[in-house]
Amino acid sequence: MENKNLHNTENHKEHHISSYKDHFSTLLALLLLTVVTVVVSVFGADLRSLSVATALLIATVKVVVVAYYFMHLKYDMKLYTWLVVLVAVLFVAFTALTSIEYFNR
Amino acid sequence: MEHASGFVLPNSGHNRDAEASKMGMWLFLFTELLLFGGLFIVYMVYRMINHEAFLLSSFELDVTMGTINTVVLLVSSMTIAMSITAIQKGNIKLSVNLLYATLAAAIIFMVIKYFEWSSKIHHGLFPGMDYYESLPKGEGLFFYLYFFMTGLHALHIIIGAVIIGVVIYRTKKGLVTSEKYTLTENAGLYWHLVDLIWIYLFPLFYLIH
Amino acid sequence: MATVSTDLNYLQGKKGLFSWIFSVDHKRIGLLYLYALITFFLVGVTLGILMRLELLNPGKDLLEAQTYNQIFTLHGVIMIFLFIIPSIPAVFGNFFLPIMLGTDDVSFPRLNLLSWWIYIIGAIMALSTLIFGDGPADTGWTFYAPYSVKTGTNVTMSVLAAFVLGFSSILTGLNFIVTIHRLRTPGMTFLKMPLFAWALYATSWIQLLATPIIGITLMMIVAERFFGVGLFDPSIGGDPILYQHLFWIYSHPAVYIMALPAFGIISELLPTFARRTIFGYKAIAFSSLAIAFVGYFIWGHHMFTSGMSGTGRFIFSILTFLVAIPTAIKVFNWVATLYKGSIHVHTPLLYALAFIFQFMIGGFTGLLLGALATDIHLHDTYFVVGHFHYVMFGGTGFAFFGALHYWFPKIWGKMYNAKVANTAFTLLFIGFNTLYFPMLIAGLMGMPRRYYDYLPEFHLPNMISTFGSWILAVGLILMLGNLIYAYFKSKEKPGRNPWGGITLEWQTQSPPPVQNFDRMPELPKNGPYDFEHKPTIKE
Repeated sequence: MENKNLHNTENHKEHHISSYKDHFSTLLALLLLTVVTVVVSVFGADLRSLSVATALLIATVKVVVVAYYFMHLKYDMKLYTWLVVLVAVLFVAFTALTSIEYFNR
Repeated sequence: MEHASGFVLPNSGHNRDAEASKMGMWLFLFTELLLFGGLFIVYMVYRMINHEAFLLSSFELDVTMGTINTVVLLVSSMTIAMSITAIQKGNIKLSVNLLYATLAAAIIFMVIKYFEWSSKIHHGLFPGMDYYESLPKGEGLFFYLYFFMTGLHALHIIIGAVIIGVVIYRTKKGLVTSEKYTLTENAGLYWHLVDLIWIYLFPLFYLIH
Repeated sequence: MATVSTDLNYLQGKKGLFSWIFSVDHKRIGLLYLYALITFFLVGVTLGILMRLELLNPGKDLLEAQTYNQIFTLHGVIMIFLFIIPSIPAVFGNFFLPIMLGTDDVSFPRLNLLSWWIYIIGAIMALSTLIFGDGPADTGWTFYAPYSVKTGTNVTMSVLAAFVLGFSSILTGLNFIVTIHRLRTPGMTFLKMPLFAWALYATSWIQLLATPIIGITLMMIVAERFFGVGLFDPSIGGDPILYQHLFWIYSHPAVYIMALPAFGIISELLPTFARRTIFGYKAIAFSSLAIAFVGYFIWGHHMFTSGMSGTGRFIFSILTFLVAIPTAIKVFNWVATLYKGSIHVHTPLLYALAFIFQFMIGGFTGLLLGALATDIHLHDTYFVVGHFHYVMFGGTGFAFFGALHYWFPKIWGKMYNAKVANTAFTLLFIGFNTLYFPMLIAGLMGMPRRYYDYLPEFHLPNMISTFGSWILAVGLILMLGNLIYAYFKSKEKPGRNPWGGITLEWQTQSPPPVQNFDRMPELPKNGPYDFEHKPTIKE
């Protein structure tokens, strides 16, 4: 049974095959970011409140890199990217509303 | 499905549809993200309420072990991504070997996790132990969340490892080919999710001091 | 590929229990859900009537206080997790979504069967608390900490049941989203889908993205009961109110899991019986998505008196008012659809009209509860009980019955006695309003909810309410009896299209063949309710 369903709007593109080299470069970028975040945390203790923000920011960059390259969002239908954004917005809204509530206790 | 009259609907839920499988997997990943999302909200609120206690407690965790585990997971994410490339190019043997590499990374991760957990439990930091009960306010919450979140994450590692095992088995049996590799792709997506969650867990527990 | 004769419909063919409980046919799975749901619904109704009997007169008559607490909890758990959350999507969504999209099944038929099994396991777990452990939970269906971690009753099992049922809900939602994206018949764009499909689409997104939060929250309750120490314990720096936040982050959107599919049903019934296109198709479709989206951000209005910060209460109150906008858009559009329509009064339409009436009462009383000032007075009174029964039972429940009467001839290829059905409807309508309207009044007078006893000044509304419960019970029995009688005895063959509807399910045989269609369904020219260019439906 081959894929023979007809689709109105969502015909998907030719499958893109990522090269081994691309995957390796992605890994190097991720490792670099890991080194940065550890160094900032261990040696930048005087930055205090900044260090959490930096750590979360770097983590988010790493997550975007993993999702975009390893998880193939870059080459998939745009729908997936939008849905990921939707879920992220939803989660951020949950945290924002909850923290507004607790900040003002 | 087909009718005796010969009439066949153009679209059928019984046709193989790789895109549908992938979409299903993504939707499932969203539920996983929000499952952990609930815990991250708990973490955020308690960190807000017990700011100092969380900072102090995080010194108890071993940054070196955490960093090694981060590297292990990142490398495994690459190997499983490469395994998909290999199967797409028809290189079955390489694909299987890369899956084995991913599996090995999962085991290394769990072994390191085991040593970390046992040293914490040895110090009496597990919820309900005597020393845990005597911790100052807020520090108990930190370790409770540490065990709960890394425990749930470890459970996902184990599930991921089992899934990878299934993919290896089916690839070897010739059920996964360069034409039909949705299984490998979906296993990859799941494994990357496990990695994504760790990417946040690592700084939040190990690096916030 | 299985070759199926055109002569056989989905009810024929393989026979026997196993051919049903292991069937991957979405139509059979829909019916499996229907039978299970009706059973649990009747259990829930019985518990409700017991409570009303206890409340007929002040003082202890029938039930012990503790028994009463356990009964209202079990009534809540059964009605919410076992009946109303799965209700319309699991039964009519499963049965009709693929047919309305012009395909033969959902995208993942085996996963669909799995969700039914998970549902049944969850249901058995929930009901097992009646027999095992120290009796059913007495916490209310909300399982609020810290009481839920301290009480001796079998909270653990109830909570695990809710967790398992959540999985079933997630998988159904996932299946529907993929089905809608992947299996629409060629030519059916998103904006040519029936509004029921739109409603299910919006619902599925809530099921998918909200349910995991309650899953993990309930696991924290289980962990706390297991370790004897937990995350909501103030003595180690925790905050019990955080439990309420997490609980309502799911459970408020869950209200829309219950309500949105009902909106979809009404949007199907009205065009068919008014014989004209729906007024404001896009407005109805997009307002479903808007409700689903805004519904995520208003959970705090359940906690105005819990000790939340003033700023939090203020923000949640304002956001709550926002959700009234898309809901009102729908009601305007429904009423406008009837205007200058050629209205054919049949039983399903009566249910739809009752829905609009009762849902409006439910909606307006909801605004009183969403407004900060009035909520302080009304919180945890019978006003709340009246309000949510107007929304859930008067709204979703009536839509469910309307759908049952609308699609009965399609599902079984038989026809019920319309006169009896109308009588049953009248009894249900009168009984429902007699039962729940006095609760609104008792609540305004200040009667608190969740007590087995009350002060003498609340006697009159409670008495009327209990009388109402009897009328409602008679109406229910008559309605179900009529349908069951028709199922066994009806000789009338309704044909493909007894109501003159034009969505795709009316173009196939009644009951539908295994593949759903015996010929290619024809799409109306301009959208699903284009009665001016309607397809000719030959027998």
